[in-house]
Amino acid sequence: MKTLSSTRLEKAEAYLTEYPTKRSALLMVLRLIEEEFGHIDDEGMAIAADLCEVTTAHVQGMVTFYTHYKRPYHGKHRFMVCATLMCALDGNTDEALSAIKAKLGIGPGEKTTDGLFSCEKVECLADCDRAPVVQKDNEHFCSMKGEKLEGYIDGLLQSEGKSAADYKNEGPVRMDSRVQTLPVHFNFDGENTRGARRLDDKDPYLPPRNTTEKPRG
Amino acid sequence: MSDDKNTSNAIPAAATPEPFSPVILRHIHEEGSHTLAHYLARGGYETAKSKMGTDPQAIVQTVIDSGLRGRGGAGFPTGKKWSFLAKGTGKPIYLAVNGDESEPGTFKDRHILEKDPHQLLEGVILTSYAIGSHHAFIYLRGEFILGYERLQQAVDEAMAKGFIGKKIFGGDFDLTVTVVRGAGAYICGEETGMLSSIEGGRGYPKIKPPFPAVSGAFGCPTIVNNVETIAAVTHIVKHGAAWHKQWGTEMSPGFKIFCLSGHVNKPGVYEVPLGIPLTEMIEVYGGGMRGGVKLKAVIPGGLSAPVLTAAQVADVTLDYESLAKAGSMLGSGGITVLDENVDMISAIYNTMRFYHHESCGQCTPCREGTGWLEKLAHRFHHDEGREGEVDLLGDVAKNMRGRTICVLADAAAMPMQSYLQHFRADFEARVKAASWKERTRSYKDEITPKAKASAKVRTENP
Repeated sequence: MKTLSSTRLEKAEAYLTEYPTKRSALLMVLRLIEEEFGHIDDEGMAIAADLCEVTTAHVQGMVTFYTHYKRPYHGKHRFMVCATLMCALDGNTDEALSAIKAKLGIGPGEKTTDGLFSCEKVECLADCDRAPVVQKDNEHFCSMKGEKLEGYIDGLLQSEGKSAADYKNEGPVRMDSRVQTLPVHFNFDGENTRGARRLDDKDPYLPPRNTTEKPRG
Repeated sequence: MSDDKNTSNAIPAAATPEPFSPVILRHIHEEGSHTLAHYLARGGYETAKSKMGTDPQAIVQTVIDSGLRGRGGAGFPTGKKWSFLAKGTGKPIYLAVNGDESEPGTFKDRHILEKDPHQLLEGVILTSYAIGSHHAFIYLRGEFILGYERLQQAVDEAMAKGFIGKKIFGGDFDLTVTVVRGAGAYICGEETGMLSSIEGGRGYPKIKPPFPAVSGAFGCPTIVNNVETIAAVTHIVKHGAAWHKQWGTEMSPGFKIFCLSGHVNKPGVYEVPLGIPLTEMIEVYGGGMRGGVKLKAVIPGGLSAPVLTAAQVADVTLDYESLAKAGSMLGSGGITVLDENVDMISAIYNTMRFYHHESCGQCTPCREGTGWLEKLAHRFHHDEGREGEVDLLGDVAKNMRGRTICVLADAAAMPMQSYLQHFRADFEARVKAASWKERTRSYKDEITPKAKASAKVRTENP
């Protein structure tokens, strides 16, 4: 059974007294649990429920409603790439995603088989003048593409004792499909690549059409 | 609106305004601007200190006279909002500062929180004193990591100096400031959604009335203001209402921070007097169109603002009334410039995907409507649009508006309606393209190995 360390427990107690109700401290208590264990799993939720005197069902409702909490199905290093219009213009989002794909072999919604890295598309990260915006756990990066992003990933790989070659031949694993930041069909190539959209662009995510099927409409 | 006119006319604007230089963003480029020492060196907390023990109603009156309007998006007069506060209920009064800043295209509060959090705190002290609140919440979105650290540090510093806490500035006023960190939900930028989140629940908006000023956080009267509004209060109380009214227009006095993004040479935050032409913002502040490419459209007030075409841009000035007249809104001041090469169908699909993802799911017209719009836009994006679906898009959007608890449904429907209005030909072209694609699909499916490969992956890895 997991327990919070004494310093974090003290901090949690401080939140519980500062907020008007114990329930209202839940957002911050969950952050402490995320800090302590690296992510929020069922046991972490039970601890938060005990501290804030709410049901575990309520806590689960919270961590599934809010997308920024780190869950067990995310990788140890969680890449979040902004995919909202301002970042997606000129194909900036795609550039960031393809850099991650080239180094780690993972696309949005996927993680590496060893569980070290995961990648996802998220909505606006509020730094729209310096696209694309990427967050890695609690680190925030602007204009994160090309060499800057590749260099950063190289540094991470080095700190983990890995190299990009380790991920060359490994297939990615899809993250929990029930709870995912953006549904699968949102992830396709070529979105908003500036002016590059051609009529023969193919959509790999549309189901294959039965050739004997009558044309619609 | 007639009431606003009366109150904002109470103090006439100065005949010859001073040349404007940034007020809220003045110090953000200086080294260490987020520290207490830096803020004190430029006369920080002097205003708050001098106002302690004076009549709180005088501060409210100053803000009413200044004509300050909410900078979060709706543009409701701030002083008027404060005056709606339920009095004599016996319940505590809360101040909730909205730093969720989730509207795409907006990044002004980030700069205040990261680079000058003490001026926000001074505004919080002044506002709390004016409305008689002893507990203020500052709600930040979870993605503001540096902003949260800096603001929390600022609160700790101010607390150590006795500027907040028990008996602030040695007077008899107590104030607790709590920084709440959200966890990634657009809907928590809506005022009642934010209050639900502060209460420790999912960010579900609540039906209005009762408005938060009557029954807000924890069922108590609550004033909700944007970060920029509160930062502006600091300066308005310091310099007076007439000072604030020397800039801007009659109905939209003062200055505002605009966030410029998209295809301009110098994107960024610019604090300017309200009422300057939109073309000036793009050409002078933004340094013109990037690469000299022709302008196609401008989203003037965050992603939810109806889009303006290049022809409309020439006549519009940046104030609440002019943009409303042009069929759009000033919103949160997030200006996104789109050049000629942007595919508008792709842009609206991205926009609809955002709203579908961020709908909280309480109200059926929004939960289902955003999904419909997103799926239809997805189809047009892939040349799969069918005859009659252009009208269907308009129909769904129309039926979403005004039928939900909060305005997220409107925020999704408004851009769709404006894109349909201004770029209908683009949608119709995709219907034609669809029929072309339909005719050639069977042939292409057979000969394209990539399409087959991706189909295989999909079945193996659903």
